[in-house]
Amino acid sequence: MKTSLAILALGCASLHGAGEGYVNFIRQNQQRTNVIWDMPVVPVGQSPSALSVESGGALFQLWTIEQAKAKDFLLDQKLVGAYLPKADVKVVTLDPYSLIPRTRVDQPFTVNINVSGLLIGMNLPMSADRVLLEHHLANYSREKIGFSLQEAISGTPASSGYIRANGTTVLKFPVTSLRHSDPTKASGEEHFVIHTLAENGITQTQIASAMVQCWPMASGEIKGIQAGDELRFQMPKLELILDDLYPRSDTYVQVYKGDAALGKEGFRLEGSHLVLDQDRTDSRVIPLTGLDKAFEEDGTYTMEIVHETPFGVERLSHVSFQVRRTLQVRAMQVDMESAAN
Amino acid sequence: MKSPLMFCLLATSFVAAQPLTDRASAESILRQQEKNPVSTLMPAVKGDPGSIRAGGQSIIKDSIVLHDGTNWTIVPKGAVIHLPEKLTSNVNAKPVGNLLTWAAFLSQNQSWITTNEVSFDQAAGNQPLPAQKAEAWGKINKLVVAVHQGGPISVRVAEETTDLTQR
Repeated sequence: MKTSLAILALGCASLHGAGEGYVNFIRQNQQRTNVIWDMPVVPVGQSPSALSVESGGALFQLWTIEQAKAKDFLLDQKLVGAYLPKADVKVVTLDPYSLIPRTRVDQPFTVNINVSGLLIGMNLPMSADRVLLEHHLANYSREKIGFSLQEAISGTPASSGYIRANGTTVLKFPVTSLRHSDPTKASGEEHFVIHTLAENGITQTQIASAMVQCWPMASGEIKGIQAGDELRFQMPKLELILDDLYPRSDTYVQVYKGDAALGKEGFRLEGSHLVLDQDRTDSRVIPLTGLDKAFEEDGTYTMEIVHETPFGVERLSHVSFQVRRTLQVRAMQVDMESAAN
Repeated sequence: MKSPLMFCLLATSFVAAQPLTDRASAESILRQQEKNPVSTLMPAVKGDPGSIRAGGQSIIKDSIVLHDGTNWTIVPKGAVIHLPEKLTSNVNAKPVGNLLTWAAFLSQNQSWITTNEVSFDQAAGNQPLPAQKAEAWGKINKLVVAVHQGGPISVRVAEETTDLTQR
């Protein structure tokens, strides 16, 4: 592609280092072929480049050399051509939710960044041979859930780095980067923004972005019973206290005979099953009723709160206790005749 | 009843036969947060995204210095396409004296420097320079600088030609 000619504005006289005792050079470096051409220079004014700008772009550098010391100074440089990099960012999580990428704070996710249009060559300006990735974090609060992109990236990025190769860069995050006094309870958004770097008086340009919503881990307890309790007649009044249930989840109480054993299958307690399919986490208090029928035999029982999500099946809490309903009569059998004697 | 509670034991489960585990601890999340993959990228330079002097560039080091004993100038490396033996001392000499623009230097040194206009394709090595040119240069015994519209330009030697007397 040899279609565009660059018009170079030369303000040499006004630039630092140019003027009496200095000689100026404008050097055009064709990026694809590495052909280098020194343009004839006038002290002030503008001139079209006589060398077509090829598809890979051309780097124009304005140099001045100090006569007395033969010392050169790069006053300015511009990269011209269809070089502006393109980028695409995609966040992939384990949750198949289709509206936005979402995950849970303890779960891994991947950020795929596809970059094209970067130039490869020596002495290229940073705007041509790299893009800048910024990773911004925005924590949710009771007052605010959900941020616009501008809100989320208005602060200093949590981390950043340059991508200097065309193609796909894969960043694998083992967990969220959101910070919280209890890391299991962090919630918020992570935004990934790709910028080209500043050049030609234009500020950094955002060319792509993506975000992932991170929800806290669920927690729960069975209120009304303690580990080791012995139940005799009526079951106590029990409640499930459930916090931060994942937006797409099944939660229920599982019961089995015996001491707690992770992975042991039991039966689901009737009335304990809660199904969520919504856009945010939820907290509930669920009373457990009709328990007497579930514990008819004496023995040791374990109740577990089980939470099923797209990430797996987890035990939120458990409690083991004894049931002793059999009435034991301790007495001596005595007949009436013996009693009379 | 609008309660989401399901009073049945056969709920639709989207997690097929996955083992039951305990929930991750805060400590394990903190440990894993140390493995930030962004740190594997080249660190961004704070406050210096527009540095224009990356890599210690120097136009003098990236050029051929032509010197006539009093004045000097620079042309791109690869722009001197014919260099007679007797003029080697005028090339890549130490840059001392008066620095002139290429046009001024050429004007003052036409006795030993001449130019050869080349196209972009010739400069890029896509087209060879005509063979008869090299013969002519040998006869005039001058240093030949490739130019494009008056400005010195580097010339890549086409692979199929050996006619060029490259610097």
